Amino acid sequence: MALTIFLIMIVLLLLGFPMMIPLIVATFVGFIMMFGDISKMEFMVQQMMAGIRPASLIAVPMFILAADIMTRGHSANRLIDMVMKFVGHIKGGLAVSTAAACTLFGAVSGSTQATVVAVGSPLRPRMLKAGYKDSFVLALIINASDIAFLIPPSIGMIIYGVISSTSIAELFIAGIGPGLLLLVLFSAYSMVYAAVKGVPTEPKASWGERLSAVRSAVWPLGFPVIIVGGIYGGVFSPTEAAAACVLYAIILEFVVFRSLQPADIYLIAKSTGLITAVVFILVGAGAAFSWVISFAQVPQQILAAVGVADMGPKGVLAVISVAFFIGCMFVDPIVVILILVPIFAPVVNAVGLDPVLVGTIITLQVAIGSATPPFGCDIFTAIAIFKRPYVEVIRGIFPFTVILLLVSVSLIFFPQIALFLRDLAFR
Amino acid sequence: MDDTKGSNPHASSLPGVLGAIDSAVSRLESVLLAVGVLLMALNTVANVIGRFVLQYSLFFSEELNRILIILITFAGISYAARQGRHIRMSAVYDALPPPARKGLMILIAWITAMAMFALCYFSIGYILKVASSGRVLPALQVPVYWIFLWVPVGFFMTGLQYLLTAIKNLVEDNIYLSTQVLEGYDDDELEV
Repeated sequence: MALTIFLIMIVLLLLGFPMMIPLIVATFVGFIMMFGDISKMEFMVQQMMAGIRPASLIAVPMFILAADIMTRGHSANRLIDMVMKFVGHIKGGLAVSTAAACTLFGAVSGSTQATVVAVGSPLRPRMLKAGYKDSFVLALIINASDIAFLIPPSIGMIIYGVISSTSIAELFIAGIGPGLLLLVLFSAYSMVYAAVKGVPTEPKASWGERLSAVRSAVWPLGFPVIIVGGIYGGVFSPTEAAAACVLYAIILEFVVFRSLQPADIYLIAKSTGLITAVVFILVGAGAAFSWVISFAQVPQQILAAVGVADMGPKGVLAVISVAFFIGCMFVDPIVVILILVPIFAPVVNAVGLDPVLVGTIITLQVAIGSATPPFGCDIFTAIAIFKRPYVEVIRGIFPFTVILLLVSVSLIFFPQIALFLRDLAFR
Repeated sequence: MDDTKGSNPHASSLPGVLGAIDSAVSRLESVLLAVGVLLMALNTVANVIGRFVLQYSLFFSEELNRILIILITFAGISYAARQGRHIRMSAVYDALPPPARKGLMILIAWITAMAMFALCYFSIGYILKVASSGRVLPALQVPVYWIFLWVPVGFFMTGLQYLLTAIKNLVEDNIYLSTQVLEGYDDDELEV
């Protein structure tokens, strides 16, 4: 049964069906194989409804809405400007600024695609003009934007938290360490790259300019304060933090910056609703799928076949890392999380792994896989936004993949990279 | 914004009265999406303000959001189907020559339509089951089955869109990703 279901799913995915269909058809087949007919099918609908029911999922549309408002407003440019004034003058300064601005915008929006658009679009022409090669620029933008997966708010983490019953607040805090480590390593690589290629540096900004840039970025910097501070301080639940972000984004872009007109909110809400629907039908279908495979004990069969039980905690983490990395090279991260998390759930419990650590490692793998050829989804975002051919977009990615893999191995052997801040905040 | 360019985003490919109904449903879906998200934001924000400023949570907040998320999801899947916005892994598909792509697209649209119609049928069964249980939402005191009423409609409209896409690909020369979107031309869209 497991084999049939997964074969169907993989074939439908690769053929280019809308991603809900492989999940739905696999669930159909699972039901029919289990019950012999379609008499229990309303149970499938019940599981789909149960899947989109958890109140903490409301954080997803709220963060998307806040990000949607900000991507169309002025927040990103002000953040970019501030970062540039501080690090623009060092060797590889533009590239380091890009990485830092992506991280900061990730702390504001939680969406990699929004980060590619909001930070990548304005910075790519400047980097090209400064003499960076486009293959490097594209790879940097894609990979640095993926830091947004790890830096709170993170939509992938919310979905992982809901389906694995793990604290979303703890996941958010645990993502900060690895996210910042990536930023440091990407910056280091950028500096080396710029030094080797002899890219000229930018003029140094005066402290007066820096001060005024900070002043104009002070409003957008309120987002990380609300999200991280609010959750860290135990003031907000993630959903409340998301709501606070929406309110803050509306005040910022509509009242303070006046970058958007009141009528814009209708179109923004519609676009948010569309994205939400596309994600939530997957979450619902994923819940029905995970119910049917758990009921049929498929995870246990697969895990036994892989022999994962004898590998010990580090071995299990390694297997999970590889599975998610490979999965995300091919399909959308949310789908991978929906399919694989329930499969690994029994073994994570059995070897007593910290689900927050597992969630952080999964999120990191998702970030790597999404930026890795052949089919990482952020590669296609970049192709769509920058209108560059596939080959050019992926040419410069390899060094970044090496850095990312380095960090994932470190995370398995030094879990404190992720858990240090979590323990500080919650233990 | 995404669908204001081009001619009429709500235009239907069905003839006559059916077409008028279809484009009215499209309009309704887009209003449900926008108003649903705005209400959800208002509700969630009001709840936070209530809790922190007035020390008082809205007793119905969670139930209202549960209703809204179902409405948004099931109005949205059909709207996304119209606009060709459902996430898919199209790398293999894109590498095929046009005649193969056309055939594959017909197959994809046809199977997707059948799956959606099946789910529409099953969700009616589910609603009947919930209705016969007589459960009500504790805070709002409305029957629970009410909140699912849009579910079969959403599945049906989505199925219809895919069915129309299959037919449109059969009768016309171009390759259509959805009833509204021609393949390959609209590449500035993205899912965030």
